[in-house]
Amino acid sequence: MFESSLLSFLTLGPAVAAVVLLLLPDRKPAMHRWIALGVSVAGFLLSLILWFRFDADNPGFQFVEQISWIPQFGISYHVGVDGISLLLVLLTTLLVPVVILASWTSIDRHVKAFHIALMLLTTGMLGAFVALDLFLFYIFWELMLIPMYFIIGVWGGPRRIYAAVKFVLFTMAGSLFMLLAILYMAWFAHSEVGIWTYDYISLAAIAPQLEMTGLWSPQALVFLAFALAFAIKVPMFPFHTWLPDAHVEAPTGGSIILAGVLLKLGTYGFIRFNRAMLPDAWDYFVPLIMVLAVIGIIYGALVALVQPDIKKLVAYSSVSHMGYVMLGLAAGTVASTEGAVLQMISHGLSTGALFLLVGVVYERRHTRLISDYGGIAGVVPVYTGVFLLVTLSSIGLPGLNGFIGEFLILAGTWQVAPMAAVFAGLGIILGAVYMLWMFQRVFWNPLVHEENRSLSDMNLRELLAVLPLLVLIVWIGIHPTTFLSPVEAAVRALLGS
Amino acid sequence: MPTMTDLAAVAPEIILTLTAGLLLLVEAFAPGLRRSASLITVIAALVAAWSRLAFALPGEVWGGMLSIDRVAAYVDLYILVALVLTAAMAGPYLRRNDCERGEFYTLLLLATVGAMVMASSVDALSLFLGLELLSIPLYVLNAYLRKTAVSVEAGLKYFVVGAFASAFVVYGIALLYGVTGTTNLVAMGRSVVAADAVSPLLAVGLAMVVGALGFKLALVPFHAWAPDVYQGSPTPVTAFLSVVPKGAALVALLRLVDGMDLLHVSPNWVVVASVIAVASMTLGNVVAIVQRDVKRMLAYSGIAHMGYAMVAVIVAGREGGSAVLVYLAAYTLMNIGAFATLALMSERENEPTLMSDLAGQGWIRPVAAAALTLCLVSLAGVPPLFGFTGKFVVFRAAVNNGFVWLAVVGVINSLISAFYYLRVVYMMYMQPLPRREPVFQPSWLITGVATIAAVGVLILGIYPVPILDAAHEAILDLVR
Repeated sequence: MFESSLLSFLTLGPAVAAVVLLLLPDRKPAMHRWIALGVSVAGFLLSLILWFRFDADNPGFQFVEQISWIPQFGISYHVGVDGISLLLVLLTTLLVPVVILASWTSIDRHVKAFHIALMLLTTGMLGAFVALDLFLFYIFWELMLIPMYFIIGVWGGPRRIYAAVKFVLFTMAGSLFMLLAILYMAWFAHSEVGIWTYDYISLAAIAPQLEMTGLWSPQALVFLAFALAFAIKVPMFPFHTWLPDAHVEAPTGGSIILAGVLLKLGTYGFIRFNRAMLPDAWDYFVPLIMVLAVIGIIYGALVALVQPDIKKLVAYSSVSHMGYVMLGLAAGTVASTEGAVLQMISHGLSTGALFLLVGVVYERRHTRLISDYGGIAGVVPVYTGVFLLVTLSSIGLPGLNGFIGEFLILAGTWQVAPMAAVFAGLGIILGAVYMLWMFQRVFWNPLVHEENRSLSDMNLRELLAVLPLLVLIVWIGIHPTTFLSPVEAAVRALLGS
Repeated sequence: MPTMTDLAAVAPEIILTLTAGLLLLVEAFAPGLRRSASLITVIAALVAAWSRLAFALPGEVWGGMLSIDRVAAYVDLYILVALVLTAAMAGPYLRRNDCERGEFYTLLLLATVGAMVMASSVDALSLFLGLELLSIPLYVLNAYLRKTAVSVEAGLKYFVVGAFASAFVVYGIALLYGVTGTTNLVAMGRSVVAADAVSPLLAVGLAMVVGALGFKLALVPFHAWAPDVYQGSPTPVTAFLSVVPKGAALVALLRLVDGMDLLHVSPNWVVVASVIAVASMTLGNVVAIVQRDVKRMLAYSGIAHMGYAMVAVIVAGREGGSAVLVYLAAYTLMNIGAFATLALMSERENEPTLMSDLAGQGWIRPVAAAALTLCLVSLAGVPPLFGFTGKFVVFRAAVNNGFVWLAVVGVINSLISAFYYLRVVYMMYMQPLPRREPVFQPSWLITGVATIAAVGVLILGIYPVPILDAAHEAILDLVR
């Protein structure tokens, strides 16, 4: 009983917490912070039970719960996790308390509303990772939209309105076509087997029979409709233009969630729907995905190189890093796919930590321009050390998390598409250049701005927020097997090998 | 002589009509009691709803003039819900504007009876009767704030356009009668199907009737009255106007499409109706973007929403028909909720509903702003809200019946609409509060109406099964 509704507690708990927060008076911001923190930490602990009771050898979905919801259309509340979604669920439940801690003092207006939005967002993210019904998936997918609109639009930077509207319109543009594709798939399944269902497992069995003869055949169009939704979210070149705006304007907590979890929903969608349900169309479009992924890697890195704003630099580095994930998926070997999944986690940790750290100095100096810093290594030694570790993780230093994912991806890709691997390898070099150059200009160059002399180092709360990320960054780097073993069975099932 | 069955079948209409008369008497002889007129109306509507549920649904009554079937019952219930919510918010609204009179509710009740008659008509004559009984009180209600120029303008505009529509209907019916020799819609359909070729007179007659319904639905190209009328009318009247006539007209259209078998009468029907649907969706949404007045914006959004509903009408059959019914229910709740919050938030006498007047309201009127947000986001079709359910069933019906391209146009339009709905949300939460003291105290009753509508939108969005069931059952009586 407990085990079968564990995922529901985890997913719907934050939504219930949001309602509770709504009903509490908004005079006491501290109370709302503590309640939200308590709920999110409880969520993380619950997800640990998930982790320990997960059977790594079973490639299927576990902790499954299914309840009939809208029987007229064959829609049910159906949730479950496999190895891939398990890791993403854990990443999400880990990052939410981090976000609350990181926003503890920087969110000082409308504290209650912020935490309500964050809790609803959490339900949306976790729900999308665990949903095994396409209708349910769509509901959770769209549920993330409005809270994120508020988080960017209310607590964001100077151009927050533009960024928030752009985020919503881009996301909706993709997801509405996905809705049509879902409807079409259900209709197709009905015409094939005579029952109405939106269930993932049933549809995944039927969808490969969709006719695939060329660009205008049903399977290709359904594929493109899903791919558009996910490519915008990833974001793949050329659908990435919302990302720098949203990341830069969002408050620190919003950026962590965006980079840490929301982008992963795009790549997760590619794995779960495009790759698993529409194999023929996947094969047809793989060259295109690979090319766009490599363009994204190089382009993101080059644009990051010239950014004067640290946050924008990190935002563009996301475009580059997510390109690796897409490359790994497109290459389609076991190694590259496992690498892609691990890279999703790694990127969530590293980039989440980077945004958090940028937020730390921003809160003190209210500027994110690289040129406003310089030489602060001596002033804030702890901060410098932490930042260095995260930077090295982001550029893929062996022994830290970024290396494992990128190595697996490149090794796997080399087997099927050596040229792509070569260009992607170029991206790693560029990644080292822009990150280290930024690090040098912020921390090492001579200290020219007097204001920076009085910069205070990270306090306990900030250290506490970043600590779990640092632990995992090192852990994945030293012992990736811990995290690869639950993924392996699911990846092999996905690739049919 | 009407039989007992006939009388029992129209019990709700009788109750509402008697109440309408009673309120006139109250106004004449006991004006002190006028404060309770709103409450009496609400009670009458609830009793009417109860009687609709309590008495059996006999099907065709009054010699084949009305069909009190499950479709009629479904639409009646949602019209009555609209009446309850409108009457509840009208009380405080009218008191605030210092013009509460019993006649207001009398007119509201009569319009409701008209809508109910229209929705259950299976005869061209009762259809016309219902249409007039619905329209004439509304002309007066639109101009109810007679000291306000825009209100009078709204009444006059709606009257002129409505008179045109009525003339169209009468002339169309005359032509149909001339061709088929009957006024009964089903009999008309039978004789049309029996005849080999479609007479051009029949096509003209049908086009006129459908066009007149298009006026009531504010479909392009019959939409031009909507923005001015919405903007000028007292807000509770706008709420009523935006849902009740549209519901009645949509059901009348469904009865026409299925009863007359329009697909059979003319293959051009689908083409023409598709053009109307696409034009309504697109024009409504695109023009709504540039509106500065929220009521005007909602008028254009209403045009677009009727375009979505038309998609389901085109699909027809059981799937399309039940989609229309579900969409109506969703549209009613969202719209009434939105207008109720506007009535709540307007701060000055002359009804400012400019978007900029909503700046910062999110933080000083959290309940009202949250209700408006829910209703608008639902209108944009974001799950898990009722508006999404409506769009889902409509698009699903379109995809399942080979109208994928209409669904594609529909989703592109949903995207456009998100832009302007969210702009209101942006105004409320992301703009600083202007320094201005509110003139009106927020009324708990209007807050209640807005909250009920918003909570309804949320709950029915999460669990739409009862409405889906009811719509599915109801449509079985219409589509045989």
